[in-house]
Amino acid sequence: MTSTLSIQGLRVAVGDREVLKGFDLTMSTGEVHALMGPNGSGKSTLAHALTGRPGYRVLGGSVTIDGRELLDLSATARARAGLFLALQQPLEVPGVRPLDMLVAAGADAATVAARVREEAVRVGLRPELLERFVNVDLSGGERKRAEMVQLGVLHPRFCVLDEVDSGLDVDALAAVARRLSAAAAEWECGVLAITHFRRLLVELVPTTIHVVRDGRVVASGGPELAERLELEGYDGFGAPRA
Amino acid sequence: MTTFADSAAAVIDARPGGGRLEAWRAFEEVGLPSSNDEIWRYTPLTELGLEHHVVPTGPSPVAPSDSARRLADGADLVLTVVDGYLAPLGELPKGVHVSSDESGRSHTGRPLAERYARDAFSLLNAALAPATTVVRVEAGTVLSAPVVVLGLAGVGASFPRLRVEVGRGAEAVLVEYLEGGRDGLVVPLSEYAVDADGSLTVVTYQRLDETAWQVARTTGVLERDARLHQAVIGLGGHYDRSRNDAELRGAGATNVLRTTFLGRGDQVHDFRTRQLHLAPRTTSRLLSKGAVAERSRSVYTGLIEIEKGATRTDARQTNHNLLLSSSAHADSVPNLDIRENDVLCAHASSVGPLDALQRWYLESRGVERVDALRLMIQGFFYEMLEALPASLAAPIEADVAAAVGEVARAAVVGS
Repeated sequence: MTSTLSIQGLRVAVGDREVLKGFDLTMSTGEVHALMGPNGSGKSTLAHALTGRPGYRVLGGSVTIDGRELLDLSATARARAGLFLALQQPLEVPGVRPLDMLVAAGADAATVAARVREEAVRVGLRPELLERFVNVDLSGGERKRAEMVQLGVLHPRFCVLDEVDSGLDVDALAAVARRLSAAAAEWECGVLAITHFRRLLVELVPTTIHVVRDGRVVASGGPELAERLELEGYDGFGAPRA
Repeated sequence: MTTFADSAAAVIDARPGGGRLEAWRAFEEVGLPSSNDEIWRYTPLTELGLEHHVVPTGPSPVAPSDSARRLADGADLVLTVVDGYLAPLGELPKGVHVSSDESGRSHTGRPLAERYARDAFSLLNAALAPATTVVRVEAGTVLSAPVVVLGLAGVGASFPRLRVEVGRGAEAVLVEYLEGGRDGLVVPLSEYAVDADGSLTVVTYQRLDETAWQVARTTGVLERDARLHQAVIGLGGHYDRSRNDAELRGAGATNVLRTTFLGRGDQVHDFRTRQLHLAPRTTSRLLSKGAVAERSRSVYTGLIEIEKGATRTDARQTNHNLLLSSSAHADSVPNLDIRENDVLCAHASSVGPLDALQRWYLESRGVERVDALRLMIQGFFYEMLEALPASLAAPIEADVAAAVGEVARAAVVGS
């Protein structure tokens, strides 16, 4: 069944500063969207606000999956509604084992260890790295692969990736992109990849590209938008009218 | 109605000698401490009501809990001590001797009342314990499985006393466990004497009823190159005070002390430690970790003392406290007293809540708040549990996990 993630007029402040100023985006499961924009345009704020990270204050707007409002829900309930966030810098959680986290997140306790091993192999991560604590002592690239393992085990309906390409070498980037493409095909995971480089899009072919500036989407279109960006830069898209 | 003093007099009359009367008189002279004394500042002494606690003249009819039995599974030797009275024993492993000592003397040979002069509760123990249960491990004996001392407390006031003597080059693991004590007072006094090149791992594990008061004191005495690894775990009790001293008397001796406590409801956990470095090249490592939820509170007061001549001592003390509600409170007071220059000495302490971002990260994976807290609190204690002897880790981890689950639920309600 196709699900729809709909973000309408989302306004979010970090501290006293309004960063998202009426953000709109709609996507369906099975689609791969890329969100591109310069530093400070609000891309990461979107990712964090969607998942209820402390410190991100929603001022207005709506985020729904199939009409169900997420902004009224706890971070847990949003995740259980099907939203998964892969972070730019996945957090270390000392003392907590990945398997325990995944079981608490709803994975089947009987099969989780085997599933984690399978998924680790798929993204080129040594499974022993997932025996210790969540993201502790892993390199940046290993952490991102580790989050792809979580994705593969938890099967969210939508995955938002915040700057997944930053700090990744070419091999790791390819592994992550392959896993995401497969997720879109396997269980119709909707992928929203936030990036400010075009590099990711060579590996992970998006159906739709959105350009964001100053807290709003200023252009949406097919892969040709990425080429236009390459030629004109973000300045070619102009700032949104206040 | 029988009062504490009447019942105490009956115990002393029934078992004359052993320095009991002298210890009782010393107690009367010192008197119970008051909350005006700095080291008793956090103790709700007015709630103790010592006069209402009756000292039993024999063991109460109590049986060990399932937790206690699990702990005893796989032990080389289980000693059951009820209200300080040692129950009859089975066969002893080779090289291990167990006895009841009524001489009233400390390991040092001095009367207990002198050794623990001016310490009111230790004096009460010196006066009122039926005997010292002595576990002696012969020189050169290496025990393959732990010795478990199952301490059970009935109602009233009880005064268990234990002395563990590990001979030259011997190695042993011992658990000193305590449960029961509903509405009661339990005052354990323990000595761990480790001779040259000997090694003792002791787990002092308190799971008393949540209405009980415990005022415990342990003293390790270490000779040359001796090792004492002690884990103190406090889960139960209404008021849980534990003073843990180590005297590093022989060159090259090592003391590792890890204290772990979990507070909920109105519990108070009050930990006092003292590492006394008397000889060169002695090492002490202290790690104290505690969590307080609801309205509970904790006190950690640690003292490292380094005497003149204890050159190249290496002493470190770390205390981390987790605050799980805005009504909980933790005090951390590390102290150093150094009379020698050629030493390494460090201390660190922290008091704070769980990391909100780490919690969010778990929740953003779909983990419920209560499970996120449970996993994080368990993670906070991970290194403490990891350090337990392998054969004891499973039953203690199960108890700690159950207590952490309750604390996490309480923390969700409080957040």
